[in-house]
Amino acid sequence: MPHAPAKRQKREEYKNSLHTDEQNAALPKKKFYRQRAHANPFSDHSLAYPRSPADMDWATLYPAYAVEGESQQASEAVEESTPADDEVQRKIKAISKNIEVADIGCGFGGLLFALAPKFPDTLILGMEIRTSVTEYVQEKTRALRAQNASTNGYQNVSCIRANTMKFLPNFFHKSQLSRIFLCFPDPHFKQRKHKARIVSYTLNSEYAYVLRPGGIVYTITDVQDLHEWMKEHFEKHPSFERVEKVFEEGEGEGGAGMDECVRVMRTETEEGKKVERNKGLKFVACFRRVEDPAWP
Amino acid sequence: MAFPYQCLVARSETSPDSHSWILVGASGSKLVTQSSNGATSVWPQEESNVMDDHNDEQEPPGKRIKLSPPKEQKANFSSLVLSSDGKHLVGVTGEDKCIRVFQVGSGSCLQQLSERCMSRRPSSITLTDDDTTILCADKFGDVYALPLLPSPDEERPATPVVAEPAEEKVEGKEFTPSATVLTVHSGRNRKTLEEQLKKKAKGLLKTKEAITFKHDLLLGHVSMLTDLAYVRMHGRGYIITADRDEHIRISRGPPQAHIIEGFCFGHQEFISRLCLTKSGFLISGGGDAQLRVWDFLKFKLLATFPIRDTALAYLKARPELSPLGEDEANFKVAVSGIWAVRSSSDDVNEVLVACEGIPALFVFNLEPSSSGTCIPLQGNPLDVAFVQLSQGSWTAIVAIDNIHKPCSTTETRDDKDAPRLQHFSRPIPTGSQWHEDTSLREVLGSFAKEGSKLGVEGADAGATETSSPKSAGDKALRDILYNVENLRKRPGAED
Repeated sequence: MPHAPAKRQKREEYKNSLHTDEQNAALPKKKFYRQRAHANPFSDHSLAYPRSPADMDWATLYPAYAVEGESQQASEAVEESTPADDEVQRKIKAISKNIEVADIGCGFGGLLFALAPKFPDTLILGMEIRTSVTEYVQEKTRALRAQNASTNGYQNVSCIRANTMKFLPNFFHKSQLSRIFLCFPDPHFKQRKHKARIVSYTLNSEYAYVLRPGGIVYTITDVQDLHEWMKEHFEKHPSFERVEKVFEEGEGEGGAGMDECVRVMRTETEEGKKVERNKGLKFVACFRRVEDPAWP
Repeated sequence: MAFPYQCLVARSETSPDSHSWILVGASGSKLVTQSSNGATSVWPQEESNVMDDHNDEQEPPGKRIKLSPPKEQKANFSSLVLSSDGKHLVGVTGEDKCIRVFQVGSGSCLQQLSERCMSRRPSSITLTDDDTTILCADKFGDVYALPLLPSPDEERPATPVVAEPAEEKVEGKEFTPSATVLTVHSGRNRKTLEEQLKKKAKGLLKTKEAITFKHDLLLGHVSMLTDLAYVRMHGRGYIITADRDEHIRISRGPPQAHIIEGFCFGHQEFISRLCLTKSGFLISGGGDAQLRVWDFLKFKLLATFPIRDTALAYLKARPELSPLGEDEANFKVAVSGIWAVRSSSDDVNEVLVACEGIPALFVFNLEPSSSGTCIPLQGNPLDVAFVQLSQGSWTAIVAIDNIHKPCSTTETRDDKDAPRLQHFSRPIPTGSQWHEDTSLREVLGSFAKEGSKLGVEGADAGATETSSPKSAGDKALRDILYNVENLRKRPGAED
């Protein structure tokens, strides 16, 4: 690839120029952040992830919600019982509320930035495995926050690089989330790649773990085969039930009664818009986390 | 020279007037058993014994056909589990991914009842407390439940599990490509789709042959599973799984194994071994400098054991063993075994710990908590089993690597008479030191000699006795005995 160095150089120059002015409120340009659409979820990568949800530094991501002057001890249980442990004691600033919405594979963040103003009091997190794409969303978050400084807009949205297929429980406590979005995930057509799909019977147990009872997993795809796959794997998982049809589709022309998030997801995701342009099909399926059965 | 015992399991039974025990060891592809009445036997039986073998008649004809071309099964055992009633032995052979169930007959004779080949290599197996179900964790991250004894109506006899690769599983379903042309695609997906369409045109759609025996997917990690445990506490069953990505997951036991109760967070390197003590503490170890002790019902860390420092101190005290050098800061351990010490008293919460390529066992005690003591060994430990020889007296039988030099996982040793087993016991069950106990040496005399012969089968490790140390056989041998350090993540892995 003879163009690669030039491309990299341009990207670096561009990114550096963004940081010269802290108050720069110009939105980042997507063309400098493109990255191939696939990532191998099984490889080790050089990922940063907290050792446990208690070790996560959320205050940096949501500075408006940082609790001033108060800091919580990371992994309290660890330190009180094992002073001999050689871990560095980190002070982590608490945030005043928990993240409740996760967009897994958020891409360029279309859904995030559409949801943020609609749920101003809910913390929303985008999680994306591709480094450049994550950077784009972070830059855009910074720019939007600067643009909306007067109203404190977009303080409730943030994005991190993560491999959620491996490390979702490292970020969230049990029953912490009320909504998980899985929008236009990589379909992984090849049979032997099916385990790399973001939905599977066994992974659904992890979604069930971080979702509170009544919480919803939203899925949308333009690939019917994947849609059938996701339906099959959620429907056979005892912790989930499919939501009512009206929740996903609404009624009549205006789609009355459609869930607000489904509406946003249908129209505001990047891929959703692309599919719209291609006049392709969109398949929506949402699943509700049911209560765990009594344990005999 | 015999292949070392890479796995050992034992079971002891005590009634008011008698003690009996059985010991099973896996040496390469062979199993050797000995019981307290002195009888030893080897599986598979030697050629000469096959003639009068009436077992053959019971075997379905199809099976014999399948087994005969490769004369002997060459796959090496990677784990063994004895059922709690002592009637069955479950073994995993790695190369063919096969779970084998044996009936333990009188005179410690083993008879293979079934062999079930999984589609992924099992990394750890265990049995539920009622001995009815095998739980199998694999390298792909999934846990399956298999009945210990397949019921006849579920399984056709002599199911050819490996053979007949050509069998097509179309199920009368017309193949449809995974997406329509309207789908928004990346270049790669478009290519895959084209491939699928081409294949369809050729009518060449191969699907992997389905497994025909009953196996239920219980749970899965997106990581390599390294160990699993099943325990029943306060009437509830738990499945505990450990992976290469530092997770210890606590799930409910079947039939609610899809429910995750929680995680024991804290490890920073891969986890390789889990161990449950009699009183319900969970101890985990792997690539970290510490072992961790958990109250897994509360997902709470109770204590840590400094395994790295203990091992380092031991090696420093025996400079003749190891080329430790100045690289002390980079010294790392990979825990290859944690065994709860068996004892007649209930309040012993002691474990023996082995680290890959270190010729010692390390002893840690939970209450009173101890900083760790050492049992020096004549070679690297491979496995440990406990037998009760008489009332109140438990002996630890340690399988020793008689091929590689102590402290090395690559260099072969010069001495040909290195022991394959060492035995240790304590005069008083609690508090006293472990001593080498030679009284068992005679009892286990023939057991200590049996097993796969080097250079004949197993890993074809004959090369180790000759010259070329880097031969393929050598590597294969090493992979059977030492595979824990490989789990460590390499820095700067591809992004």
